[in-house]
Amino acid sequence: MDERDLINRVRAGDGAAERALYDAHVDRVYRLAYRLAGDDALAQDFTQETFIRAFERLGAFRGESALSTWLHAITTSVVLNGLRKVKRFRQREADLDDAHGVSGARREAEPDLKVRLNRAIDALPEGYRTVFVMHDVEGYTHEEIGAALGVETGTSKAQLSRARAKLREALADFAGEWVS
Amino acid sequence: MMDRSDDRLDERLKQAAQDYNRPPETPRDAIWARIAAERQRRAARRVIELKPWARWMLAAAALLLLGIGIGRWTAGPPGPPPGTPRVATADVTDSDVAYDVVATQYLSRTEAFLTGFRADLRAGRTDTRFAGQARDLLTTTRLLLDSPAAEDQHLRVLLEDLELVLVQISQLEAGRNSPDADLITQGMDQRNVLPKLRSAIPAGPVPVRTQGVT
Repeated sequence: MDERDLINRVRAGDGAAERALYDAHVDRVYRLAYRLAGDDALAQDFTQETFIRAFERLGAFRGESALSTWLHAITTSVVLNGLRKVKRFRQREADLDDAHGVSGARREAEPDLKVRLNRAIDALPEGYRTVFVMHDVEGYTHEEIGAALGVETGTSKAQLSRARAKLREALADFAGEWVS
Repeated sequence: MMDRSDDRLDERLKQAAQDYNRPPETPRDAIWARIAAERQRRAARRVIELKPWARWMLAAAALLLLGIGIGRWTAGPPGPPPGTPRVATADVTDSDVAYDVVATQYLSRTEAFLTGFRADLRAGRTDTRFAGQARDLLTTTRLLLDSPAAEDQHLRVLLEDLELVLVQISQLEAGRNSPDADLITQGMDQRNVLPKLRSAIPAGPVPVRTQGVT
């Protein structure tokens, strides 16, 4: 079914069309919510709220962008506001300087480098982390990110670049192993 | 400035980051069920929750209806022929019941006030508290004199006597005891104000205060 037809049917109150629209987009919405929240309960909450808002506001959707773009804008708004509200951001206090200061002895005691990477991603500023997750982890384009976050494409690219630089700094002591 | 090692490191970071908060399989049906339940709950809430402007409109309409109701109520059929104060009779029309409640409260408070005033006067105590309370009661007295309640001749006479007494008390100055205060109590005695007041108050508990009788 054409997306335009699907939207019109949802607007007309067709429950089956609502479910079809949900099925078409829920995976990406849930995945992004989970990636950013790191918590299944929160991810489900955010996904639920995203679709409720989408169904409520679908009447105002003018089709100037793809439905997925519009939906991802709602998703990022719901998730980022939700995370701020519940203060669930994983602001582990191991900031980038701490990550820098890890000694070789501690490195040997830390079996999983991915734990370090996860911490470093968590420690990124919100904007950097969101762009990094959306682009490098979930595969969104800069255009999609810009539309979802309401920023210019160039801003998305710049934030990704800074995010990567921060991560390189944080994991500099592993650089030799990783690039060899 | 990035070099080739940065590019390779970025690529490795990107690969490693795929495990960052790796989501499980989407619980589609569970989330759909939650969405349906939440939308139903919100829809039910919207039925009973009005927008702020609607609440104000509703409140204004209710107030208007209440005003009309009170107006019709207080301007109801004329009372019984004069004989005794209405508050002491068993007249049971709606308007009289409402009036009785207000008047009985007022008379009870005035009776308690005048009794206390006399007792304190005999004990040689007067203060500005009396003047203030008298002014409050005077306001209610005049409101009642201007209301349909004053159509009752006996009650009107009683209210006029009380008005006079209360005016005098309201003008009393603290510490200025004897002559003025004695004249007030003499006037009360001559007009049998307290006995008339007590006979006008029906037996039984004083009704709950429903108007601004202070």
